Amino acid sequence: MPELPELNPVIHGKLRLALLSLLAGVEQAEFTWLRSKTGSTDGNLGAQLLKLEEAGYVAVEKKFVMRKPQSIYRITEQGREALTDYVRALKQLLGSAISV
Amino acid sequence: MQDQSTQHDLRERLDLIECMISEGRRKTESWGWTFLLWGLAYFVAIFWASMGGSASIWGVHTVLAWPVTMIVAALLTIAIGMRKGKGKPDTTMGRAIVSIWIAVGISMILIFPSLASTGRLDEHSFVAIVAGMLGVANGASGIFLRWKSQFACAVVWWITSVAACFGSDTQLMIVFLSALFLCQIVFGIYAMMMESRRKQREIAHA
Repeated sequence: MPELPELNPVIHGKLRLALLSLLAGVEQAEFTWLRSKTGSTDGNLGAQLLKLEEAGYVAVEKKFVMRKPQSIYRITEQGREALTDYVRALKQLLGSAISV
Repeated sequence: MQDQSTQHDLRERLDLIECMISEGRRKTESWGWTFLLWGLAYFVAIFWASMGGSASIWGVHTVLAWPVTMIVAALLTIAIGMRKGKGKPDTTMGRAIVSIWIAVGISMILIFPSLASTGRLDEHSFVAIVAGMLGVANGASGIFLRWKSQFACAVVWWITSVAACFGSDTQLMIVFLSALFLCQIVFGIYAMMMESRRKQREIAHA
């Protein structure tokens, strides 16, 4: 019997999973857009994005536009690979659950 | 029981990934207003240029009318575009479409003043080049977006471009104004209506 894969704990959190998936569909996105799509609070969103950033899954660019601070996030190659692996693992787990 | 809840949780996560990716890829750009704006700008330029002169796109005020109107339209496009795009994500498709139009705009900005300053620009070549370039931009966007209406506009512009090489000045003006009305004003309003419907559908689904 093949060994079942483990799910990446960094991505497994629902908000972090939603954020990485959102960023996988765009080139880059502002903090405010991510907040509106996830319905999360500023504090929680910032903390989860920081975890993804520390894992090397997202990159952030902070700049000032018309004197207002702007944080722009994009998924890294490492993040895309991690998401792909996560989906593969999920499907494998679901497949094994169905076959059982 | 625990297995079932785990399975349910895993399925939920898979659905979440799918939903979020499609949310990000959802078309959020709205560019119908640019067609309308530039259509009006062309009409203003033609009207201003021909004021006090004969009915022609090349009137007595050409030297002032065309550059001033085009610069104002370009500045308005940048200002409104920045305002409308604020907070929206960048998508590969959006960047591809915008890059086509920016490249066409730069080509026009370089070609027309150069031709005009050397006295080598006449009404027919002006319309042939403008229509040809608008045909390229609309055609490329139409193919990229798989949007038949925009590709139809490209066909109208290509026909206008070829027609500009023949006929009289009056015929040229009729052909150019008709193409402008159809492909800028009518298409712009149509695109804005489509965008408004799409937004209403999204609100209803939310």
